[in-house]
Amino acid sequence: MFKQKTTEQIKAATRKTDSGSHAFYNNPKYRAVIYQTLLIAGLAYFFYTIISNTLGNLEAAGIKSGFGFLDNAAGYDVLMSLISFDSTDTYLRVFVVGFLNTILVSIMGIILATILGFIFGVMYFSRNWLIKKVSVVYVETFRNIPLLLQILFWYSAVLATLPGVRDSLSLGEAIFLNVRGLFIPQLVGQAGSTLVYIAIAVAIVAIFVMRSWAKKRQDATGEQFPVFYASLGLFFGLPLLATLITGIPFTVDYPVLQGFGFRGGITVIPELMALTIALSVYTGAFIAEAVRAGIQAVPHGQTEAARSIGLREGKIMSLIIVPQAMRVIVPLLNSEYQSLVKNSTLAAAIAYPDLFNVFVGTALNQTGQAIETIFMAIIVYFALNMFISFVMNRFNNNVELVGR
Amino acid sequence: MANTFKSDPIEFKPAEAKPAPDSTVGIVAWMRGNLFSSIPNAAFTILIMLGLANVIPDIIDWMFISSTWSGANQDACVGDGACWVFVKAWSQQFFYGSYTTDQIWRVNLSLILLFVVIVMSFTLPASYRLKVSVPLFLVLPFLCIAILDGRLVGLEHVNTDFWGGFSLNVLMAAAAIIVAFPFSFLWALGRRSDMPLARSISVVFIEFFRGVPVLALFFMGSVMLPLFFAEGTNVDKLVRVWIVLIFFMSGYMAEVFRGGFQAIPSGQYEAADSIGLGYWQKTLLIILPQVIKVSMPNILATFVMLFKNTVFLLIIGIPEVLQTLLTALSNSNWLGGHAIEGYVFVGVIFWLCCFGMSMLASNIEKKLDTSHRN
Repeated sequence: MFKQKTTEQIKAATRKTDSGSHAFYNNPKYRAVIYQTLLIAGLAYFFYTIISNTLGNLEAAGIKSGFGFLDNAAGYDVLMSLISFDSTDTYLRVFVVGFLNTILVSIMGIILATILGFIFGVMYFSRNWLIKKVSVVYVETFRNIPLLLQILFWYSAVLATLPGVRDSLSLGEAIFLNVRGLFIPQLVGQAGSTLVYIAIAVAIVAIFVMRSWAKKRQDATGEQFPVFYASLGLFFGLPLLATLITGIPFTVDYPVLQGFGFRGGITVIPELMALTIALSVYTGAFIAEAVRAGIQAVPHGQTEAARSIGLREGKIMSLIIVPQAMRVIVPLLNSEYQSLVKNSTLAAAIAYPDLFNVFVGTALNQTGQAIETIFMAIIVYFALNMFISFVMNRFNNNVELVGR
Repeated sequence: MANTFKSDPIEFKPAEAKPAPDSTVGIVAWMRGNLFSSIPNAAFTILIMLGLANVIPDIIDWMFISSTWSGANQDACVGDGACWVFVKAWSQQFFYGSYTTDQIWRVNLSLILLFVVIVMSFTLPASYRLKVSVPLFLVLPFLCIAILDGRLVGLEHVNTDFWGGFSLNVLMAAAAIIVAFPFSFLWALGRRSDMPLARSISVVFIEFFRGVPVLALFFMGSVMLPLFFAEGTNVDKLVRVWIVLIFFMSGYMAEVFRGGFQAIPSGQYEAADSIGLGYWQKTLLIILPQVIKVSMPNILATFVMLFKNTVFLLIIGIPEVLQTLLTALSNSNWLGGHAIEGYVFVGVIFWLCCFGMSMLASNIEKKLDTSHRN
């Protein structure tokens, strides 16, 4: 190799390129063209073989490719669905049911994981030795055990040992927890409840308007406005007012023990509980790590500078440390959320009817449409990840360092 | 000024240092500073202590004191504690799956070979470390397969259906990352390349394998991959999973390497150019060694992820350790509800391995931190 070349040889080689009397294949431009042509040709051949093999195999197996099967009746029931579903509905409806279940577990997981992650991440910086150690133990334990093991553990070692229906653990005879799941009361809106929903929407819009107004006013005059308390007041006050004006248009549907099970209220099946707990505890450990990294990335001088200009400790955290830490945390959160959504496919292990389980699992088994079902599922996960990425990038733009 | 002082200057004798006040040293001071520094802190401390005092004795009692350690079947478990007899009875299955009992030395040999090659890559003299350990690493997976399968080396043939247990998790993860290494390196180079086509193909590949849930990949491996091969080709289940893991891993590792490439100062590229190295000479002799060094912590972190993900194989029915545990739990002789013992055992094994590797990663990171910043 290079070692054996003498200086003279190198000089000779260099001169040759300089003189311009070189073959065309030594020109990087042509080389690039040749390489890429070869690459494309190879890839085309690869895909051609795959596709022709697949078509041949499908034909041999007697499977008709295409999305026609989506209109056929599925013929099986789904354990849990957010929209009405019975076994005569089509595969397309199965797809929608699974999709909604995936969204449900993802959103619950993301919210809980974020809360857990931020709590344990901040706990690491506690001056209390014990609290700090609790945070370390949490992160190191749950990060280093496979998620699937945790899901199965929650499902078959914890939730399966809950008492039976008749001896349910109950909280004020309203919330029941037993081996069949968690039963919670449901708020049912009566006539007039629309006004309350409108009030909630109005409150949210008003909060955003108020925030931008307060910021503008502070930029212009330096006067501060208690945005947090005002938002809190708006968010709870306005709907409350609407409720009172319309004469409390809600009834509460309590779960009641009837025969061998509970009726009424909302039922959270143990599969959903196990999956949500495992996903949020596992991802929470990673988020805690991200939060820790983010806060550690803010130099200590920032805290000292903030103290020296007389900010209170609470204000230092919210105005100085957190905004800077967010710059590190948000990109990490983005990838953690994405992996949470991807990991929700592990529902298959405990038969929670998420998109992957009901569609790629059962529908594929029944129809044999491997390529179509997997393709549709993959598209959904891609879309979800892109959506998360989009939202988090927008958020990231807000927290990013603004060059002036 | 100085000579206006008296002729014999008084020698300055510092007073003996006084011991630190009692309130700042010792265990009491430590507790006051770290556990009871303020009223809320003290409240939290007491709360956590109470919680631990409630839980820990029970756990210790369950695990050690009232647990059963010896016996042949679950009738031996009479106490309230854990039934470790269950784990003991199934331990061979947990580690080796259903591999033929008198051939288990082959699995051990493979694991030892893996260990030796890893140790060699750290301890060999730097002058020929890469030249020896890179080929060794690349040969290793195939050597292990030959040993485990047995046909090529003239041993008794053990069908892949019998491979399993924790050793399968370890060997699968190792075999996947080793083969993924060169691929991921190529993808990372492709993504950094000036050739637009090569770059976009690499981007699509990397993002595909990072964006798709692993489980979808496994399903593709077990359901779609057979369709891709010509009719009549029968590819072993484990090989299909291996291929999937390699692709999955190379997508993630390509991003790790890309980070590594970006961390190398451009002066290194320019220096390599200026002494007249060609593209591959520059990349392989100058850049790659530095990239591997810089990205070692991330490579380990990715490996930990892959290692944890090998458990997913149970969903497509491969008897890795968790699948073996589920089989054991549903065995008619062991229906006494040993789920917690089993999960704790498997969890602890994984925890030890993954925690060990992340400790190693952070150690390497600390070492690199001093030597490779600016």
